[in-house]
Amino acid sequence: MLDLAFASIRARRLPVALVTIALTAAMVLLLSIERIQTATQQGFNQSLSGVDLIIGPRSSGIELVLYTTFHLGRPTNNITTKTLEAIGKRPEIDWLVPIALGDNHRGFRVVATTPDYFQHIQYAGNQALRFQAGRAFAAINEVVIGSTVAKELGYTLGSRLFITHGASATMGQAHDDVAFQVVGVLDATGTPNDQAVFVDLRGYELIHLGWQSGTRAFRIDGLDLASIPQERLQPTTVTAAYVGLKSKLGVFQFMRDIQAYPEEAISAIIPGLALAELWSIVGMVDRVFEFLSWMIIAISLIAMMTMTITSLDQRTREMTILRAVGASPWHLSILVMMESLVLGLGAIIAAIALVTLSTWLAADWIQTQLGIAAEISWLTVDECKTLAVILLAGLASSLLPAMMVFRRNLQQGLLQ
Amino acid sequence: MVILQAQGLDYRYTSGMSFTFPDLVVNAGEKVLIMGPSGSGKSTFLNLVSGALRLQSGALELSGNHYKGLTSSALDRIRADHLGVIFQTLNLIPYLSGYDNAALGVRFSNIRQSRVIDTRAEIHRLAASLGLTHAQLNAKASQLSVGQQQRIAVIRALLGHPELILADEPTSALDPVSTDQFMQELLSSFDPTTQAIVLVSHNPALTHFFDRVIAFEGLHHA
Repeated sequence: MLDLAFASIRARRLPVALVTIALTAAMVLLLSIERIQTATQQGFNQSLSGVDLIIGPRSSGIELVLYTTFHLGRPTNNITTKTLEAIGKRPEIDWLVPIALGDNHRGFRVVATTPDYFQHIQYAGNQALRFQAGRAFAAINEVVIGSTVAKELGYTLGSRLFITHGASATMGQAHDDVAFQVVGVLDATGTPNDQAVFVDLRGYELIHLGWQSGTRAFRIDGLDLASIPQERLQPTTVTAAYVGLKSKLGVFQFMRDIQAYPEEAISAIIPGLALAELWSIVGMVDRVFEFLSWMIIAISLIAMMTMTITSLDQRTREMTILRAVGASPWHLSILVMMESLVLGLGAIIAAIALVTLSTWLAADWIQTQLGIAAEISWLTVDECKTLAVILLAGLASSLLPAMMVFRRNLQQGLLQ
Repeated sequence: MVILQAQGLDYRYTSGMSFTFPDLVVNAGEKVLIMGPSGSGKSTFLNLVSGALRLQSGALELSGNHYKGLTSSALDRIRADHLGVIFQTLNLIPYLSGYDNAALGVRFSNIRQSRVIDTRAEIHRLAASLGLTHAQLNAKASQLSVGQQQRIAVIRALLGHPELILADEPTSALDPVSTDQFMQELLSSFDPTTQAIVLVSHNPALTHFFDRVIAFEGLHHA
């Protein structure tokens, strides 16, 4: 029976191929949206851990978490170190790590911070950052680089580098007064840390000495680093700060206090909540796409049914011949359903192959663009259920033509 | 050995048209020609014998199987096991090869399949006796001439030794020379010890090939 189904499909290969392509495309759309969203979400959620709050200038939580942790967007404002120092003295605070952003090294973001960063910032469910080589920076002209930076630029311990003002690799002017030396390389984490260059806040302040509004005001070449007074190297503003609290219980009260901070317009956000808010917005768009995908699948199945019914008239003779050699109307109905099944299975196999390819490419793109390792799973149970539903729907859509074949052949004589 | 027996057969269509058929006994080795003009009930008779129409009154028996009260699926079974059918034209499924079309003869019957030890060899043997080449067997049905298609239909009908070969105007699309050749090949290919042929035609030139001619004339009542 199956060989007959295949032969019959082959005889009608053009319309069958077109319907299969439509069905495959709809399934690819449905599955990739779901997969890429889940994988990206997972990647984002795993990028930052161990941080209770992010304190930054007053802005939306989503904005703050996106530019501090994921390099997406630009900080609109800074907060003063004076305010951070005051907050740091509050009894709820366990630790506070300031970060200053805005510069890059050959396209990789420069994160100016304190050595505490490597102790407190974690990823993927409380995994600490580890050094594959070297140590945290200690002197003001030392840097730590992420694993991707090391790999792509070929840097090792002892390499020297300059930092460019501004976030883009080509636009900015190099702060070529001071060469930094690589003293540490981080392990790969699958987070934006892989694509960052970490520098001491004092070093960051040093290269900005003599710069105003992004252009050089005077040169400080040949300056003896030790001769610069330490207070000149203390930054007056930073971009944001990561905060750990002694007790998670007081987190909401603490947030309200920060929100009401009298001297400066600042806010504190819980990174997980901000991301959840982001996903609920993205999720709405995804649901619209998902709904559209299901619609396209339904349309494809209707097209398949139309094609089958249309072909029945052309296949009257074929059916009569099969009846003459002893095929029952059941056989003919099963043949028609089998053809739909073969077609549906073909579309599913093609869809799985294409989805695997497309999510793999998407994961690669997300990795290079955002530094996030999006975990791509092989077929999940949910996906198998979705595919089974589509296959059953395909089979159900072949019931009508199969019934038509059955009735027609039961009533019709073999010989006219 | 009695192959086909019909007694007191009547058939009435819902449209009101009805036919009464003469009683008939066909034995193994017999070649029977049924002649009659259009509308004389030839097709109705063939549809009854092939089990495509269900029996309304009278008795019909093929190789010891009584048709009375049988369900349509039981009739499908009898057709698959005991009957080889040859149509007027368009005998073959166009997208299958000649060989695959011929092999359909044993596809739906375990009995007929069990009688053929080597399907391939049997089809090639029958093809040779009907003057078909390997290339013609392997060609798509749609690429064969009408005469070649009818020969493939004969192989299909004979494969697995069904007791009755039922043919409906198999030569109507052939010229007189081809008709003679086809009839000779058909009649020499069947096994007179176990098989019989019932052929329907309105071509009087065929009568000399047959043992018996039954006329269906003026049998219909409005």
